Formats: sequence, C-alpha cells, structure tokens
Amino acid sequence: MELLPLSFFEWAETSFLGYIGKNYGGIYATFGQSLHLISLAVLGGSVLVSDLRLLGVLLKDVPSEVVADQAHKVFRIALIFIIATGVFMAAAIAQKLFYNAAFWAKMYALIAGILFVFLVRRPLLKGDHSQLNPLTVKLVAVASILVWISVAATGRWIGFS
Amino acid sequence: MINELLLQFAEWLYATGWSRAIEESFYLYNWIETTHVLTVMLSLGMLIFIDLRMLGFVMPTVSAVKIAQRLNIAMMVGFAIMFVSGLLLFYAKPVYTIQSIWFRIKMLLLLGAFVNAVIFHKRMMASAGTWDNEPKAPRHLQVGAALSLGLWAGVVTTGRLIAYDWYSCYRDLPGLLSWAAGCVAE
Repeated sequence: MELLPLSFFEWAETSFLGYIGKNYGGIYATFGQSLHLISLAVLGGSVLVSDLRLLGVLLKDVPSEVVADQAHKVFRIALIFIIATGVFMAAAIAQKLFYNAAFWAKMYALIAGILFVFLVRRPLLKGDHSQLNPLTVKLVAVASILVWISVAATGRWIGFS
Repeated sequence: MINELLLQFAEWLYATGWSRAIEESFYLYNWIETTHVLTVMLSLGMLIFIDLRMLGFVMPTVSAVKIAQRLNIAMMVGFAIMFVSGLLLFYAKPVYTIQSIWFRIKMLLLLGAFVNAVIFHKRMMASAGTWDNEPKAPRHLQVGAALSLGLWAGVVTTGRLIAYDWYSCYRDLPGLLSWAAGCVAE
C-alpha cells in the first residue's frame, strides 16, 4: 500500500532537489548515495554499540546508561543526515520509486524503526537500567538491531528491484 | 606493464566457473553486495565511535583507550566480513573492477587507512595511561583519528562510485587517466 499519491512523486521529481539529482550525476552519487552510506555507518554504529552493550556483548565495564545516552545523541544526528540524503536521492527518481515494492517496504520499516526508537526504546532506556526487567532490555536490543537491519537491507534492495 | 598483468589476471579470474556463477546469480550477487554494504554498520560504525571518542565527541567520561580496546573485536569481525564479501564482489566482476579508477583509488585509500591505523594504535599504546580519562586525546592522536575518518569517508565514497562507468576504458579517456584506470591498448 502506498502512503502518498503518485502526484506527490511527480511533483518531487520536478522540484529543485529532483532537478539537481537528475541532472548532476556526480552530486547525486556523492552528496546523495555516498553521504547516505556514511550516515548509515554512523547510525548503524550507534544502534549496534548500545544494543550490543544491552545484550552484554561489549563495553560490559561501562554503565549501560552512559552507552545508551551517548549512542542516542549520535543516532539523532545520523538520522537527520540519512533522511536528508535519502530525500535528495528519492526526489531524483521519485516516479520510479512509487512503483518500487522495496521502496515502500523500506518506508514501513523506517517508520517502524523511528516509532520504536522514540516511543519505546528511548523512554525505556532513559532511566536507571537496573530497574528494568533484564529480559525486556534484551528483547528491546534484539528488536532494535532487527528493525534497523531491515531498514538498511530493504533500502539496498530498492536499487536491485 | 603492470596494467597488462592485472588485466590478464582479471581475465583469468573472469573465466573461472564460480566467477560467472556469482555474477549471473541475481540473488547471490545482490545479497553479497547487501552484506558488504550493511556491514559498514559494524566495521565503520565501531571505528567511527573510537575516532569520535578520541576527538572528544562521544563518551568523554569513559577512558578512550578502554573504548578503543573494547570496540576493537566487534570492529575486526566487521572488517573480516567486509573483506570476504568484498573479495567475492571483485571475483564476480574482476575485469570491470580492475579497470575502475574508483576501485583503484579505493585500494590506495584503504592502504592509507590501514597504515594510519597501525601508527595510531602504536602511538596510542605508547602513551596510554597518561591521558585516557581526558575528554580528548592528545593532539597527535586527534590528527590520526580525524585522518582515519577522512580516509574511510573516501573509501565509502569511491566504493560507491565503482558502480559508475564515467571513466571506463570504453570511453575516450585522456592518456594519464586511461593509464590510471588500467586501460590497455588492444
């Protein structure tokens, strides 16, 4: 199911961003694609650092509250960059994306990921972690890793389908 | 001479059965590529955290050397997956890739990043214990961390650009560029 009408995608392609991305391949590939990938490294790193800490895999001798707080700060910045570069890339090929199943799969995964971070994960991890059920914490960490891997993988498959 | 040899080697790889099998398999090739791309979250994700700690941007209250040592294993697992999936991607398209100027720049940047990391590690361990709990690493280590971030940004960028044929040998490239891309006169 599409979240936005085709007319929106038609407009996006004629917008200034769409025009730049369509006509300047070098800018599209560097400020769009490459910066998107660099942001993915930062975003994925922040997710993995805190989730692997919650799972007891790494940084076991650093308080998990410190790791989660610091990683979340980095996550927010990376999210802004990855969405900005993503919108830029999408504008250039907007009409094609409307008919691309992987694109919509990614949008749903992304919405799920953002809602999960800001409505579930962050509120839960804000306080003292020793007050939380350890199993809940581990499930949240696993869910977080899975949802962001889904976002990245469906994103990559936009280009293959 | 070196370009001829590299091309011969790539052509030999191209003619092997597995190389053709991977490139011709839609799902196998694309999943190897997806693995290569997604693993930046682990390899570069950890590396970026270590470098940002040295520069004082993350976890300033936690020992910098501790962060570097604790994230090192996860980062190395990531780089091992990157290396294997990267080799397979090269093996699937050896002739195209060996004649890509972007691939060649990427290999040079990788070499630079590796040398930088070795020097950084040596220098960090030499002075460890004296500054670990400072929010920022000493100036010479900060330079190493910033260089690391820059080099890896270059590796990702040139890696992504391998997919583009703007400077491929079938185009009419000026002499130096043609040599640098590894083009061989027929």
